[in-house]
Amino acid sequence: MHQSYRFAIAYFILFGALLLASGMVLFFSKIGFSYEAVESYYLGNEALFTSPKSSYGLLEVALPHLGSMGLFIMVTGHFLLFSTKQKKHHAIKIVIALFIVALLDIFSGFLIVEGWTLFIWIKLLSFIFLQLLGLYLLWLLFISVWQGIVAHKN
Amino acid sequence: MKFTLIKDVKHDSLMRPLLGGLLLFILLFLLSDIALRNDHIGLTASTLSQTLFGNEEAFVEPVTEHFLLELIHSDIFFIMMTLLTLSAVYARLCQNRRLRLININLTMISALLSIILLPMAYYLSELFIMPWIVSFYTWHFLAIMMTLASLFYLFVPQKSDLR
Repeated sequence: MHQSYRFAIAYFILFGALLLASGMVLFFSKIGFSYEAVESYYLGNEALFTSPKSSYGLLEVALPHLGSMGLFIMVTGHFLLFSTKQKKHHAIKIVIALFIVALLDIFSGFLIVEGWTLFIWIKLLSFIFLQLLGLYLLWLLFISVWQGIVAHKN
Repeated sequence: MKFTLIKDVKHDSLMRPLLGGLLLFILLFLLSDIALRNDHIGLTASTLSQTLFGNEEAFVEPVTEHFLLELIHSDIFFIMMTLLTLSAVYARLCQNRRLRLININLTMISALLSIILLPMAYYLSELFIMPWIVSFYTWHFLAIMMTLASLFYLFVPQKSDLR
Protein backbone atom coordinates (compact mmCIF):
# COMPACT_ATOMS: atom_id res chain seq x y z
CA MET A 1 0.00 0.00 0.00
CA HIS A 2 1.22 3.54 -0.85
CA GLN A 3 2.51 5.51 2.15
CA SER A 4 0.21 8.37 1.00
CA TYR A 5 -2.82 6.08 1.41
CA ARG A 6 -1.80 5.33 4.97
CA PHE A 7 -1.69 9.07 5.71
CA ALA A 8 -5.08 9.60 4.05
CA ILE A 9 -6.55 6.75 6.13
CA ALA A 10 -4.92 8.13 9.31
CA TYR A 11 -6.66 11.46 8.70
CA PHE A 12 -9.88 9.59 7.93
CA ILE A 13 -9.63 8.00 11.40
CA LEU A 14 -9.20 11.44 12.98
CA PHE A 15 -12.21 12.80 11.09
CA GLY A 16 -14.16 9.68 12.07
CA ALA A 17 -13.40 10.26 15.75
CA LEU A 18 -14.50 13.90 15.37
CA LEU A 19 -17.71 12.76 13.65
CA LEU A 20 -18.54 10.46 16.56
CA ALA A 21 -17.66 13.16 19.10
CA SER A 22 -19.81 15.77 17.35
CA GLY A 23 -22.67 13.25 17.15
CA MET A 24 -22.43 12.73 20.87
CA VAL A 25 -22.41 16.47 21.64
CA LEU A 26 -25.39 16.93 19.32
CA PHE A 27 -27.32 14.08 21.01
CA PHE A 28 -26.56 15.53 24.44
CA SER A 29 -27.51 19.05 23.38
CA LYS A 30 -30.69 18.16 21.43
CA ILE A 31 -32.04 15.16 23.32
CA GLY A 32 -30.11 14.37 26.52
CA PHE A 33 -28.81 11.14 28.04
CA SER A 34 -31.69 10.16 30.30
CA TYR A 35 -34.97 8.26 29.94
CA GLU A 36 -36.99 11.40 30.72
CA ALA A 37 -35.02 13.53 28.26
CA VAL A 38 -35.54 11.05 25.39
CA GLU A 39 -39.22 10.69 26.31
CA SER A 40 -39.87 14.42 26.32
CA TYR A 41 -37.88 14.92 23.08
CA TYR A 42 -39.98 12.40 21.14
CA LEU A 43 -43.34 12.61 22.92
CA GLY A 44 -43.29 16.31 23.80
CA ASN A 45 -43.43 17.97 27.20
CA GLU A 46 -46.12 20.39 28.34
CA ALA A 47 -43.87 21.96 30.96
CA LEU A 48 -41.22 22.70 28.33
CA PHE A 49 -43.82 23.71 25.71
CA THR A 50 -42.53 21.10 23.24
CA SER A 51 -44.79 19.12 20.92
CA PRO A 52 -44.39 15.43 19.97
CA LYS A 53 -42.26 14.64 16.93
CA SER A 54 -44.11 13.81 13.72
CA SER A 55 -43.18 10.78 11.60
CA TYR A 56 -42.16 13.04 8.72
CA GLY A 57 -40.00 15.13 11.05
CA LEU A 58 -38.24 11.93 12.15
CA LEU A 59 -37.89 10.81 8.54
CA GLU A 60 -36.08 14.07 7.74
CA VAL A 61 -33.43 13.13 10.33
CA ALA A 62 -33.42 9.43 9.43
CA LEU A 63 -32.90 9.93 5.69
CA PRO A 64 -29.40 11.52 5.73
CA HIS A 65 -28.35 9.17 8.55
CA LEU A 66 -29.32 6.04 6.60
CA GLY A 67 -27.03 7.10 3.75
CA SER A 68 -24.17 8.46 5.80
CA MET A 69 -24.05 5.78 8.53
CA GLY A 70 -24.12 2.97 5.96
CA LEU A 71 -21.34 4.62 3.98
CA PHE A 72 -19.26 5.41 7.08
CA ILE A 73 -19.42 1.81 8.37
CA MET A 74 -18.71 0.34 4.93
CA VAL A 75 -15.75 2.64 4.18
CA THR A 76 -14.21 2.24 7.65
CA GLY A 77 -14.73 -1.52 7.67
CA HIS A 78 -13.48 -2.13 4.14
CA PHE A 79 -10.03 -0.74 4.98
CA LEU A 80 -9.60 -3.75 7.26
CA LEU A 81 -9.65 -5.94 4.13
CA PHE A 82 -5.97 -5.12 3.93
CA SER A 83 -5.28 -6.30 7.50
CA THR A 84 -4.51 -9.78 8.88
CA LYS A 85 -7.01 -12.66 8.61
CA GLN A 86 -7.58 -12.71 12.39
CA LYS A 87 -8.32 -8.99 12.53
CA LYS A 88 -10.57 -9.31 9.49
CA HIS A 89 -12.75 -11.92 11.22
CA HIS A 90 -12.97 -9.69 14.26
CA ALA A 91 -13.87 -6.69 12.10
CA ILE A 92 -16.70 -8.61 10.38
CA LYS A 93 -18.44 -9.12 13.75
CA ILE A 94 -17.98 -5.46 14.69
CA VAL A 95 -19.27 -4.27 11.30
CA ILE A 96 -22.42 -6.44 11.50
CA ALA A 97 -23.05 -5.28 15.08
CA LEU A 98 -22.56 -1.66 13.96
CA PHE A 99 -25.12 -1.98 11.16
CA ILE A 100 -27.65 -3.46 13.62
CA VAL A 101 -27.18 -0.78 16.31
CA ALA A 102 -27.21 1.96 13.64
CA LEU A 103 -30.59 0.69 12.38
CA LEU A 104 -31.94 0.49 15.95
CA ASP A 105 -30.67 4.00 16.65
CA ILE A 106 -32.31 5.41 13.51
CA PHE A 107 -35.67 3.62 13.76
CA SER A 108 -36.31 3.50 17.51
CA GLY A 109 -37.54 7.14 17.35
CA PHE A 110 -40.41 6.07 15.07
CA LEU A 111 -41.46 3.34 17.53
CA ILE A 112 -41.26 5.71 20.51
CA VAL A 113 -43.74 8.12 18.91
CA GLU A 114 -46.01 5.15 18.16
CA GLY A 115 -46.16 4.50 21.92
CA TRP A 116 -43.55 1.73 22.33
CA THR A 117 -41.88 3.30 25.36
CA LEU A 118 -39.50 0.32 25.71
CA PHE A 119 -37.68 1.76 22.71
CA ILE A 120 -36.63 4.78 24.80
CA TRP A 121 -34.11 2.46 26.48
CA ILE A 122 -33.23 0.88 23.15
CA LYS A 123 -32.61 4.34 21.67
CA LEU A 124 -30.24 5.21 24.52
CA LEU A 125 -28.44 1.85 24.47
CA SER A 126 -28.14 1.67 20.68
CA PHE A 127 -26.67 5.18 20.58
CA ILE A 128 -24.10 4.34 23.27
CA PHE A 129 -23.15 1.06 21.53
CA LEU A 130 -22.96 2.86 18.18
CA GLN A 131 -20.44 5.29 19.63
CA LEU A 132 -18.39 2.61 21.39
CA LEU A 133 -18.33 0.17 18.47
CA GLY A 134 -17.60 3.00 16.03
CA LEU A 135 -14.64 4.08 18.17
CA TYR A 136 -13.47 0.48 18.45
CA LEU A 137 -13.60 -0.02 14.68
CA LEU A 138 -11.59 3.19 14.21
CA TRP A 139 -9.11 1.91 16.82
CA LEU A 140 -8.70 -1.41 14.94
CA LEU A 141 -8.08 0.56 11.76
CA PHE A 142 -5.61 2.84 13.54
CA ILE A 143 -3.57 -0.13 14.79
CA SER A 144 -3.58 -1.63 11.30
CA VAL A 145 -2.41 1.64 9.69
CA TRP A 146 0.20 2.24 12.41
CA GLN A 147 1.68 -1.23 11.93
CA GLY A 148 1.87 -0.50 8.20
CA ILE A 149 3.70 2.80 8.78
CA VAL A 150 6.18 1.14 11.18
CA ALA A 151 6.75 -1.78 8.78
CA HIS A 152 7.34 0.68 5.92
CA LYS A 153 9.96 2.59 8.00
CA ASN A 154 11.80 -0.61 8.89
CA MET B 1 -11.47 1.86 -3.72
CA LYS B 2 -11.03 -0.88 -6.31
CA PHE B 3 -8.99 1.57 -8.35
CA THR B 4 -6.23 1.34 -5.74
CA LEU B 5 -5.70 -2.26 -6.89
CA ILE B 6 -5.70 -1.62 -10.67
CA LYS B 7 -2.13 -1.16 -11.87
CA ASP B 8 -2.57 1.41 -14.62
CA VAL B 9 -5.70 3.49 -13.98
CA LYS B 10 -4.72 6.03 -16.64
CA HIS B 11 -5.00 3.52 -19.44
CA ASP B 12 -7.92 1.49 -18.14
CA SER B 13 -10.92 2.12 -20.42
CA LEU B 14 -13.43 2.09 -17.54
CA MET B 15 -11.38 3.71 -14.78
CA ARG B 16 -10.44 6.76 -16.85
CA PRO B 17 -14.00 8.10 -17.43
CA LEU B 18 -15.04 6.96 -13.93
CA LEU B 19 -12.26 8.87 -12.20
CA GLY B 20 -12.68 11.81 -14.59
CA GLY B 21 -16.37 12.07 -13.69
CA LEU B 22 -15.67 11.68 -9.99
CA LEU B 23 -13.04 14.43 -10.09
CA LEU B 24 -15.42 16.73 -11.98
CA PHE B 25 -18.10 16.15 -9.31
CA ILE B 26 -15.58 16.80 -6.53
CA LEU B 27 -14.52 20.04 -8.24
CA LEU B 28 -18.14 21.18 -8.53
CA PHE B 29 -18.80 20.14 -4.90
CA LEU B 30 -15.87 22.24 -3.66
CA LEU B 31 -16.89 25.31 -5.68
CA SER B 32 -20.56 25.02 -4.65
CA ASP B 33 -19.53 24.56 -1.03
CA ILE B 34 -17.71 27.91 -1.09
CA ALA B 35 -20.71 29.65 -2.72
CA LEU B 36 -23.25 28.07 -0.36
CA ARG B 37 -21.18 28.73 2.76
CA ASN B 38 -20.77 32.36 1.69
CA ASP B 39 -24.55 32.64 1.42
CA HIS B 40 -25.39 30.71 4.62
CA ILE B 41 -22.92 31.93 7.22
CA GLY B 42 -20.64 34.36 5.37
CA LEU B 43 -16.98 34.10 4.50
CA THR B 44 -15.74 37.49 5.65
CA ALA B 45 -14.93 38.43 9.24
CA SER B 46 -17.89 40.84 9.48
CA THR B 47 -20.54 38.57 7.89
CA LEU B 48 -19.45 35.50 9.87
CA SER B 49 -19.34 37.50 13.11
CA GLN B 50 -22.88 38.74 12.40
CA THR B 51 -24.06 35.16 11.78
CA LEU B 52 -22.45 33.74 14.94
CA PHE B 53 -23.15 36.57 17.39
CA GLY B 54 -25.98 38.53 15.74
CA ASN B 55 -26.21 42.27 15.21
CA GLU B 56 -28.59 44.35 17.31
CA GLU B 57 -28.40 47.37 15.02
CA ALA B 58 -29.32 45.30 11.95
CA PHE B 59 -31.85 43.21 13.98
CA VAL B 60 -29.97 39.99 13.12
CA GLU B 61 -30.39 37.11 15.58
CA PRO B 62 -27.33 34.92 16.31
CA VAL B 63 -27.44 31.32 15.08
CA THR B 64 -28.58 28.69 17.57
CA GLU B 65 -26.18 26.19 19.11
CA HIS B 66 -28.12 23.35 17.43
CA PHE B 67 -27.70 24.93 14.01
CA LEU B 68 -23.95 25.24 14.49
CA LEU B 69 -23.55 21.69 15.84
CA GLU B 70 -25.59 20.22 12.98
CA LEU B 71 -23.53 22.22 10.48
CA ILE B 72 -20.25 20.96 11.96
CA HIS B 73 -21.52 17.36 12.22
CA SER B 74 -22.57 17.20 8.56
CA ASP B 75 -19.45 19.11 7.47
CA ILE B 76 -17.17 16.51 9.09
CA PHE B 77 -18.88 13.71 7.18
CA PHE B 78 -18.71 15.42 3.79
CA ILE B 79 -15.12 16.60 4.31
CA MET B 80 -13.88 13.15 5.39
CA MET B 81 -15.52 11.34 2.48
CA THR B 82 -14.53 13.93 -0.14
CA LEU B 83 -10.92 14.27 1.01
CA LEU B 84 -10.41 10.53 1.46
CA THR B 85 -11.61 9.84 -2.08
CA LEU B 86 -9.69 12.77 -3.55
CA SER B 87 -6.47 11.83 -1.70
CA ALA B 88 -6.72 8.21 -2.88
CA VAL B 89 -7.13 9.31 -6.52
CA TYR B 90 -4.42 11.97 -6.25
CA ALA B 91 -1.98 9.55 -4.57
CA ARG B 92 -2.57 7.10 -7.42
CA LEU B 93 -2.00 9.66 -10.19
CA CYS B 94 0.69 12.02 -8.87
CA GLN B 95 4.11 10.45 -9.39
CA ASN B 96 6.05 12.95 -7.24
CA ARG B 97 6.08 11.29 -3.80
CA ARG B 98 7.16 14.39 -1.87
CA LEU B 99 4.64 16.72 -3.51
CA ARG B 100 1.93 14.10 -2.95
CA LEU B 101 2.64 13.83 0.78
CA ILE B 102 2.90 17.60 1.28
CA ASN B 103 -0.38 18.33 -0.52
CA ILE B 104 -2.34 15.57 1.21
CA ASN B 105 -1.04 16.53 4.66
CA LEU B 106 -1.60 20.29 4.20
CA THR B 107 -5.14 19.79 2.86
CA MET B 108 -6.11 17.42 5.67
CA ILE B 109 -4.58 19.59 8.41
CA SER B 110 -6.27 22.78 7.14
CA ALA B 111 -9.60 20.90 6.86
CA LEU B 112 -9.20 19.61 10.42
CA LEU B 113 -8.46 23.16 11.59
CA SER B 114 -11.57 24.47 9.82
CA ILE B 115 -13.66 21.96 11.79
CA ILE B 116 -12.06 22.83 15.14
CA LEU B 117 -11.84 26.62 14.73
CA LEU B 118 -15.55 27.29 14.01
CA PRO B 119 -16.83 26.01 17.40
CA MET B 120 -13.85 27.77 19.03
CA ALA B 121 -14.98 31.04 17.44
CA TYR B 122 -18.55 30.46 18.63
CA TYR B 123 -17.82 29.30 22.19
CA LEU B 124 -14.49 30.94 23.05
CA SER B 125 -13.63 34.09 21.16
CA GLU B 126 -14.27 36.13 18.04
CA LEU B 127 -10.49 36.02 17.52
CA PHE B 128 -10.87 32.54 15.94
CA ILE B 129 -13.06 33.86 13.11
CA MET B 130 -10.17 34.98 10.88
CA PRO B 131 -8.13 31.76 11.36
CA TRP B 132 -11.29 29.77 10.49
CA ILE B 133 -11.77 31.77 7.26
CA VAL B 134 -8.09 31.22 6.36
CA SER B 135 -8.28 27.47 7.06
CA PHE B 136 -11.57 27.17 5.14
CA TYR B 137 -10.14 28.85 2.03
CA THR B 138 -6.82 26.97 2.38
CA TRP B 139 -8.32 23.48 2.36
CA HIS B 140 -10.72 24.37 -0.46
CA PHE B 141 -7.91 25.90 -2.53
CA LEU B 142 -5.58 22.91 -1.96
CA ALA B 143 -8.35 20.39 -2.66
CA ILE B 144 -9.24 22.23 -5.89
CA MET B 145 -5.55 22.19 -6.88
CA MET B 146 -5.35 18.43 -6.14
CA THR B 147 -8.49 17.85 -8.24
CA LEU B 148 -7.19 19.88 -11.18
CA ALA B 149 -3.77 18.20 -10.94
CA SER B 150 -5.41 14.75 -10.91
CA LEU B 151 -7.49 15.65 -13.98
CA PHE B 152 -4.28 16.84 -15.67
CA TYR B 153 -2.37 13.64 -14.82
CA LEU B 154 -5.35 11.55 -15.94
CA PHE B 155 -6.02 13.11 -19.32
CA VAL B 156 -2.77 14.79 -20.44
CA PRO B 157 -0.08 12.29 -21.53
CA GLN B 158 3.02 12.51 -19.31
CA LYS B 159 6.64 11.87 -20.25
CA SER B 160 6.56 8.58 -18.32
CA ASP B 161 3.60 7.38 -20.48
CA LEU B 162 5.51 7.91 -23.72
CA ARG B 163 8.50 5.78 -22.65
